[in-house]
Amino acid sequence: MAALAIARLELLRLFSTKRGWIATIAFLLVWTLIIRYIIYPAADWLSSPDTGPLADLLLGSIGLEGISRWPSAEIALYWVLSLYLLPFFCIMIAADQIASDKARGTLRYITLRASRSNVFFGRFIGQAFIQFLLIAATLFSVVALVAFRSPDRLSGVLETLPMVVTNVFIVLLPYIALMALVSVLAKSARQATLFAVIGWILVSLIVAWVQSQYGPFALLDWVLPGSQISTLIKMSGWQTLELAAVPLLHTVVLLVLGWWAMQRCDL
Amino acid sequence: MSIIIDSKGLSKHYGRTKALDNFDLTLEAGNPIALVGPNGAGKTTFLSLICGFIHPSAGEVSVLDHKPGSQDLSGRLAALPQDARFDPALSVGRQLKLYAQLQGMSGAQANAEVMRVLEIIKLPEVIGEKSEALSHGMRKRVALAQALLGQPEVILLDEPTAGIDPPNVKIIRDLIQEQSENATFVISSHNLDELEKLCSTVVYMEKGKLLHTGPIDPADDVAYLTLRMQSVDEQIFIEACSQLTGVVSVQRQAQGDFLIECDDGVVVDQSLLSLLATRGWDYKYLAKGRSLEERLYG
Repeated sequence: MAALAIARLELLRLFSTKRGWIATIAFLLVWTLIIRYIIYPAADWLSSPDTGPLADLLLGSIGLEGISRWPSAEIALYWVLSLYLLPFFCIMIAADQIASDKARGTLRYITLRASRSNVFFGRFIGQAFIQFLLIAATLFSVVALVAFRSPDRLSGVLETLPMVVTNVFIVLLPYIALMALVSVLAKSARQATLFAVIGWILVSLIVAWVQSQYGPFALLDWVLPGSQISTLIKMSGWQTLELAAVPLLHTVVLLVLGWWAMQRCDL
Repeated sequence: MSIIIDSKGLSKHYGRTKALDNFDLTLEAGNPIALVGPNGAGKTTFLSLICGFIHPSAGEVSVLDHKPGSQDLSGRLAALPQDARFDPALSVGRQLKLYAQLQGMSGAQANAEVMRVLEIIKLPEVIGEKSEALSHGMRKRVALAQALLGQPEVILLDEPTAGIDPPNVKIIRDLIQEQSENATFVISSHNLDELEKLCSTVVYMEKGKLLHTGPIDPADDVAYLTLRMQSVDEQIFIEACSQLTGVVSVQRQAQGDFLIECDDGVVVDQSLLSLLATRGWDYKYLAKGRSLEERLYG
């Protein structure tokens, strides 16, 4: 119950405060630009009878032939862009789960009444729900675009929605968990983002060095969150969930680390 | 009397610095308790350990028979931590409501409770305000309101009147006096006059160690009188006073009070008052015993 009350507060902070509204509007404006200047013209190019065969050839040459199996070019482009762009938005939006409350001392008021575990997981759940709403909003914009441009493909697109939402949501979970972990260690959202970037680069370098020194280890290819995206992007349909175990495992590991850090930190 | 706080061998180290060193203390429920000591004595560290904000390096502490940070203490232990601030993005009322709900109240109960505590601190009008819009004194009172949510048995106040103006100090002091019937307050402060008015027990700490604990007006302090004069020639007064039967010494203290030491068992009050009347000297204040400041640092 305490965790849910804290999760609700995360939503309240986003949707009932000026700062939250500014962040939401900024996100939606950026997304509008993506729709208008990337998805809209690219979908035209992909589905045009003149350029379509060439596009298939080009996509096939870079291993993205799976895109042509989607019911519309708009949703196929959304699939590719969301898998690469939404994690970046996620890192920025979810950066302040614990950091500034801890630095300000607000967390002291809260932990007098709720356990550290409840605070940590409550904030994570709240952020996960926010990300879910943002995924829904971006998908809604794509569905609206399909309905406007090619209504005959709308039913096919609607059928793919549950699969797309589930997949993108699962892809984002480890990023939310990563930001939960670093926001326990940081003193501000900016510092948390910096920690995430530094950690990311360090782990990448260590993995690359181990791979070069001691031969290829297939397991190390999956260490970083998002390592499955390049494979996932080529898939379509419910087959995409074959890789769901990877982000879910990342999420569990990062949450355990974050929970441990939360238990040990001074408030 | 039930034990509210019990620490045994409690230590907290930051690198080589011993903020709290092998600290044994048992506090019982009852009248407000003063926690005093110079800067760096370990007062805030001790309160932070009790609240579970930090972890001990060694030893243990229990609050109402529970470990700090235990969920069983939710609503039973409250605190006004030093320098903690409310979330600037949310209104005071919204945050207090969340805290009340985390203590197990329903939405309606929490709303009523928020109004109750804001009425107690005489600031019901700030319910929709953000904390950043309030003055420092008002913020302290709002922070005190969060400590009064529900019916806590123990309320820890870390420097509740630090840096605030006299009217707000008086409001906070009166409030603690009123509420001390319902809860045991443990108050850390440098304002010894304030503590003397509020507390009946004093815990004195220095360099992370417990130096003294006992009643704030000890029975063995009756051999002293503290006198504050309206205006008087210091030399003449000390000479005249020293000649009274039973007076051992008369000293002028830094803040202008005279500390009169008497022989054990000799009552000097009456002859002192007669002397003042005879000489036509007005006095402001006469108290048995020494001030807390004089006893601790004199």
